Amino acid sequence: MSKRQLAMVMDLNKCIGCQTCTVACKTQWTNRNGREYMYWNNVETYPGTGYPKNWMELGGGFDAAGDLQAGVVPNIEADYGVPWDYNHDELQFGEQLKPNVDPTWGPNWDEDEGTGNFPSDNYFFYIPRICNHCTNPGCLSACPRDAIFKRDQDGVVLVDLDRCQGYRYCIAGCPYKKIYFNPKISKSEKCILCFPRVEKGLPPACAQQCVGRIRFVGFLDDEEGQVYKLVHKYKVALPLRSDYGTQPNVYYVPPTEAPPKFDAEGRVIEGSNRVPIEELEKLFGKEVHQAMKTLREEKEKRKKTGESELMDILIAYQHSEMFRLDQDYYQSIAKKQGLSLAPIDNRYMQGKNTENKYKFKVVEYE
Amino acid sequence: MNKLTTALLASSLVASAAFAEDAVLAQKTDRDVTQLTPTSKAWEYVKATTIHLYPQTTVTMNDKKANAVNKDAKAKEARVKAIYDNKNIAFLLEWPDGTKSVQKGYRSDVYGDGFAVQLPVNYKDPKKLPYIGMGSDGRPVVIHLQKAVEAVYEPNGNGNVGDQQVVLNKNMFGDEVKAYEAKVAKLAVRDYQRSFISEGFRSMTEIKDGSEKFSADMSYGNKAWKGTVVRPLKDAYLSLKGGFPVAFAAWDGAKMNRDGLKLLSTWIPVKLVGQSGGEKLVSELSAPVKGDAENGKNLVMQNGCMGCHYIPGMSEPGYMAPGLANIGGYSTAAYLRESMVDPNAVVVPGYNRNAHPNTPWYNEVDGKRQSTMPPYPLDDKSLDDMVAYLKTLKAEVK
Repeated sequence: MSKRQLAMVMDLNKCIGCQTCTVACKTQWTNRNGREYMYWNNVETYPGTGYPKNWMELGGGFDAAGDLQAGVVPNIEADYGVPWDYNHDELQFGEQLKPNVDPTWGPNWDEDEGTGNFPSDNYFFYIPRICNHCTNPGCLSACPRDAIFKRDQDGVVLVDLDRCQGYRYCIAGCPYKKIYFNPKISKSEKCILCFPRVEKGLPPACAQQCVGRIRFVGFLDDEEGQVYKLVHKYKVALPLRSDYGTQPNVYYVPPTEAPPKFDAEGRVIEGSNRVPIEELEKLFGKEVHQAMKTLREEKEKRKKTGESELMDILIAYQHSEMFRLDQDYYQSIAKKQGLSLAPIDNRYMQGKNTENKYKFKVVEYE
Repeated sequence: MNKLTTALLASSLVASAAFAEDAVLAQKTDRDVTQLTPTSKAWEYVKATTIHLYPQTTVTMNDKKANAVNKDAKAKEARVKAIYDNKNIAFLLEWPDGTKSVQKGYRSDVYGDGFAVQLPVNYKDPKKLPYIGMGSDGRPVVIHLQKAVEAVYEPNGNGNVGDQQVVLNKNMFGDEVKAYEAKVAKLAVRDYQRSFISEGFRSMTEIKDGSEKFSADMSYGNKAWKGTVVRPLKDAYLSLKGGFPVAFAAWDGAKMNRDGLKLLSTWIPVKLVGQSGGEKLVSELSAPVKGDAENGKNLVMQNGCMGCHYIPGMSEPGYMAPGLANIGGYSTAAYLRESMVDPNAVVVPGYNRNAHPNTPWYNEVDGKRQSTMPPYPLDDKSLDDMVAYLKTLKAEVK
């Protein structure tokens, strides 16, 4: 367990599935060969296959006794999708627009499909997913090389690329399949919660660019912060699939507002909700009932009295207030390390702490 | 070899208990052995020693598919040769593998074949060699690893991925891009060939400062791999003289082998022909195991070893203690005996406490691992018998 924990809250009622977060992350972090197929941030349609395909069925995480469960390493072609590009340059010479590989699968292959019958009871909602920077990470537990570590200062889970030997047990161990194998460098890579940005007071790229203002970022122990209020004070933000036992630190405000169903004549069925509560229970646990109750009560209260701290937070009037990153905190750590800028993670950067770890005297033989 | 034949004539249980690996005789040459490759003609003039590689089943890994594929993995027979000159020693390992697996392409679930050579830093006391699985606390080993990985893309060619950038992030156009890409490609493509220093699982650390000079190579043909490792007889980490132990490991990519999922030999004695010394070590490691395995089996049951350890036919695999299914294949008799008398002498750190928090096989006291196993200070005869039984625990050779 880390000293402090940085967390993110995503309000699913406001996510419009525009993928701006995905693009923000890709443009920021697909700066290394081999990362092309990886989506450290993705937005998937629920119900749907998700990314990678059927990730919830691929194992990993812990059972009730706390034992790590075996999992499966997904295949790029079948489960993630091989990234493709188009021949834009050749269009001017009269070529047809075509992809450079034959696409057979990709993230969001089933985007916006959802389930049910149109127009009576079809539904879907979006789930943006990043690494959960778990308190008890499945990837970390699975690594036989101690190559994955959780930063003490903010709980960000990182891969020490120097120690990583590309065994991929971490991928099997992560129940969210949010750690990826980079085939070019034969090492695992994952979302780093934009720690170089966070250390300088900037929110992660996905949160900064979110046009729906659905993402809150802050320390879980910061009682003045909106993240604390949503998670601990109002308890409306819940972890995804907490039954996997990894204690994830990305929280979701469940989709409370969905249109009612229609009957055979196309009339509104009063009091109905298209999103089955069982589905939400599966994703967010039994706590989802209380969370939705609180959200509705606060909404009513706001309607009647004009006052509700919770609604004010969720509306997110000020973008800047959604992020409480405490740059002074990082600066003070940097100062302790004798640095003028951000604290340095030698392990992440180059694995410097492993250099010259062992110094031997040769045992001489006569 | 005579000792072995005699043993084989006895009952089957005792026979396999008595099994020990012969010494590898390293031949001296005047020529430079650093030039040797797996296909060099010189190897034909050196006698091979047959060794055995057993599935390492100490800890259960968490890859569902790989576990299914390796459920009943068999042992393999391999051949070892060694040649040395004034400065260097070359090892040749030849092991059967029905499929040539190379990790290549844009794939997440493909694994390459590979092999490794392990040498102990300190081998003065043949009864206290490092733990066979990558050493142990205070008993470090040097490991040379060669994997069949087509090319590892590391931008500066030094195994450093810290400053790697794709061309899209550069402010370059046209010919500049081409030149940059050519430069990167030239620098970046690297053989998956590494040296490590290790004091047990999880402590393995790559030697990247250039202080360990070695070369390795692999060649496939006739449904077998040949691999060579050439390294100095003496450098900053090791001094190889007279006789010393060596261990080999092989990975089968087709069976999703990597890391602990591998085939592993026991400590094999190597004798530098023409040099004196190391006789004690060679005889200790190649001596047949004495003891009554049948009685040993009864003692193992009486002492309840299977309460924590997985022993085929006695218990189910669990997380509590190292699995013993192949312990007889890759452990020396001295190690087995030491582990019963003084379980704290070598506490294998391989298991992840986060993965199985309720069944710790050691506790940390003042930063030192304390085994949860109590010592079993039995009489010599009982220990001999139990060791003889444990030495029978191993997969059959395919």
